Amino acid sequence: MSGTPMRLTIGHLYPELLNLYGDRGNITALSRRAAWRGIDVTAIEYRLSDEIDFSALDIVFVGGGSDREQLLVCKRLGEIKARFQEYADGGGVVAAICGGYQLLGRYYKLKNETVEGLSVLDVFTESGEGRLIGDVVIQTDFLEQPVVGFENHGGRTYIGSHAPLGKVVSGGGNNGTDGAEGVRYKNIIATYLHGPLFPKNPHLCDYVLTKALEKKYGAVTLSPLNDDAEFAANRFIVNRFA
Amino acid sequence: MRKILAVWVTKALILLGKLAGKKGSSTPGAAALKIYPDILRDLSSQVRCDIIAVCGTNGKTTTNNLLCAMLSAQGNKVVCNRVGANMLEGVTTAFADSADLFGRIDADYACIEVDEISTVKVFGHLTPRYMVITNLFRDQLDRYGEIDITVDYLSRAAARLTDAVLILNADDPLVTAFGKKAGGKHVYFGIGEDTGIARGETKEGRFCGFCGGELAYDYYHYSQLGSYRCPGCGFVRPRPDFEAVNVDLTDGIAFDTDGRRISVDYRGFYNIYNILAAYAAARQTGADLGGLQRVLGEYRPQIGRMETFVIGKPVIFNLSKNPAGFNQAISTVSDDKRTKDIVVVINDNAQDGRDISWIWDVDFERLGEGGGTRLLVASGIRHNDVAVRLKYAGLDGFEDIGDVKSAITRALATPSEVLYVLVNYTALFSTQRVLKELEGKQ
Repeated sequence: MSGTPMRLTIGHLYPELLNLYGDRGNITALSRRAAWRGIDVTAIEYRLSDEIDFSALDIVFVGGGSDREQLLVCKRLGEIKARFQEYADGGGVVAAICGGYQLLGRYYKLKNETVEGLSVLDVFTESGEGRLIGDVVIQTDFLEQPVVGFENHGGRTYIGSHAPLGKVVSGGGNNGTDGAEGVRYKNIIATYLHGPLFPKNPHLCDYVLTKALEKKYGAVTLSPLNDDAEFAANRFIVNRFA
Repeated sequence: MRKILAVWVTKALILLGKLAGKKGSSTPGAAALKIYPDILRDLSSQVRCDIIAVCGTNGKTTTNNLLCAMLSAQGNKVVCNRVGANMLEGVTTAFADSADLFGRIDADYACIEVDEISTVKVFGHLTPRYMVITNLFRDQLDRYGEIDITVDYLSRAAARLTDAVLILNADDPLVTAFGKKAGGKHVYFGIGEDTGIARGETKEGRFCGFCGGELAYDYYHYSQLGSYRCPGCGFVRPRPDFEAVNVDLTDGIAFDTDGRRISVDYRGFYNIYNILAAYAAARQTGADLGGLQRVLGEYRPQIGRMETFVIGKPVIFNLSKNPAGFNQAISTVSDDKRTKDIVVVINDNAQDGRDISWIWDVDFERLGEGGGTRLLVASGIRHNDVAVRLKYAGLDGFEDIGDVKSAITRALATPSEVLYVLVNYTALFSTQRVLKELEGKQ
C-alpha cells in the first residue's frame, strides 16, 4: 500500500528579471531530484504583476539580477514585504542567490541610490570597489562535503550576528574580508554562489528539499541517488585550489 | 623610423606565428604598439575612404567578413581583421599586416570588428565613419560584469566619434535604446515579419531601457529580438531602412530587402542579421552591390561556423560563446532530421569567461526532441559540468570524456548519420586541429 505521493510547490520569484546566472538550473535541480524520489513537484514562475499566495508554497527561490533589474524588482518587493516576512518567520524554506540574497537584507546601498530590501535577514549590502569574481569553495558546519560555486558581485554584504552559510575556503565570500559566505537562518539559505548552486551541490539541494518536506510532512529521509556526476563537478572546483 | 621597425617586427612575428600554426594572434600587434605607440593611428589615417567598425555580441566576424567581401567585390582594397582578433592588439596586427615595408597602407576601406569593451581604447587610435552593432546578448559575464557594463563601454566609445553613423539592429531593444541615448545619425536593419521560429528560451533585456516597463511584442524571433514597443513610455522598434521580408528558410536562407532577392545556401537564422548588417553598411559607402549574389555565394562561413568536415560521415563544427548563440546552434541541430550524435566542448579559459553558469540557460533539453539524437558526449575543460547539465536535461545516453580527441573518436564510432561538434571559444582552434587531423587520416 503506497500512500499519496508527497508534493512540493516551488515559487520562483521574477525569473524574467532575476535570472542572471543560469538560476533556472537551480529550479531544475530541485525539481529533478525531488521527482527522482517520486515526489510530485510543481514550479511556479511569478511575474512582477502576479499575486503570490505564500501559503501554497513550500520553497521560495529568488535568483540574481543586474543592479538595474534589482531596482525594478525592489518596487514590487515593498508591496509583498509583510507576507514574505510572515512566510520566512514561520519557517518557510527560502533559497536566495546573489541579487536575491541582497534583496533579503535591509538594504543595498549603490553609489547613487539605495535599494530597499525585504528585511527578512538582518544584513546589509554596500557597493564596494571592484567586483568579487571567481570560483568559490566554502565549508559549512552541517554538510560534510564542501559547497562550491562561482561568485560575481560588486556589493559587499555584512551579516552582523547571523550565522554564515559557510566559511570561505577559497574565494571572496560576503565581503572579501571576514571569511563568511552567505547566511543560514531558520529555513533560509542565502548565498553569492551561483554556477548554478544546486546541480553542483546535490547535498545542499537535498538539504533544502528535506527542510521543505519536514515542514510539511514531519521527519523524512530522502532516498539516496547516484551523485557521481554532480560530485565530480564539485570536486573539479575544489581541486582547482588544492 | 620606429614606425618602419614596428611594421617589420609585426610582419616577422606574424610570419613566425604562421609557421607555428597560430591564427588570429594579437602578439604581433602588441609588440608593434610597444615600439611605436602611434602605429595604429598612423596606419589607419592612411585609409582613403572610410573605416567601418563592427561591434555586437554575436555575428561580428561573419558580418565583418561579409562586408569586406562585398566592398572588395566592388574593386576596393580593404583592410580587415579577418580572423577575429578584435582587441587593440589584434586590430593593430591587421593594419600592420596590410602595410608595405615602408609602413604605407594602400586601402580604400577598413572593416574592423572590435570587441565591445575594447571600443573605447581602439577608437582612441582610429576613427570609424560607421559603427555597426549587430546585437547585445549576455556574453562572458565574469569579464564584463553585466550587459549594462558593455552598453556603458559602447556609449563611451560612441561619444568619442563625431559625425559617425550608427548602423543598428532595429529588432534588438538593447541596441536601439543604446542608439537613442547615443544620438547622431542612425541606419537601421531588421526582419519585418513573424518567421515562426520563436522558441521558449531565455529572453533578456525585455524591459524598456527608458522607463523599465515590460516590452510588448507583436512577434519575436529569439532572445529579445523582435517587433517590440513599450506600452509605458512609447519606446518602439524603429522602422528599418533595410528590412528582410518574405523570409524562406526551407533550403538555406532567402529573403527580400532593398528591392532585391538575397539567397544563400548556408543555414542559421542569425545569418539573416549578419547579411543585413553587412549589406546596410556596404550600401552606406554608395556601392550599388551588383554581383552581390556571387559574393554571398562564394562566401564561406568562418572556421567553426557550421563548418563541415567529412570523417567517414559529415561532421558539423560550430562555435557558440553564449546562451543566445548556443540556442541558435541547438535549433539548427534539432532541425536536422538525420540520426545524430553531439559532442559538446566547453572550456573556461580567460577568453571564454571563467564563469560557465550560462550553460544552464541553454536549452539542451531540446536535443532530446524528435528522437534523432543518439549519443551525447560532454568534453572540454569543464566536461564534468557539461555532463551534469546533460543529466539534468533528462538526456539519457550521455558520456563524459574530457579529452576532445577521444570524445570525437568515440562519437565517430557510432552508426549515426551525422556528428555535431559544438564548442566555445578557446576550444575552437584546438578542436579544429583534431578534426583536420582525423579528416586527413581518411
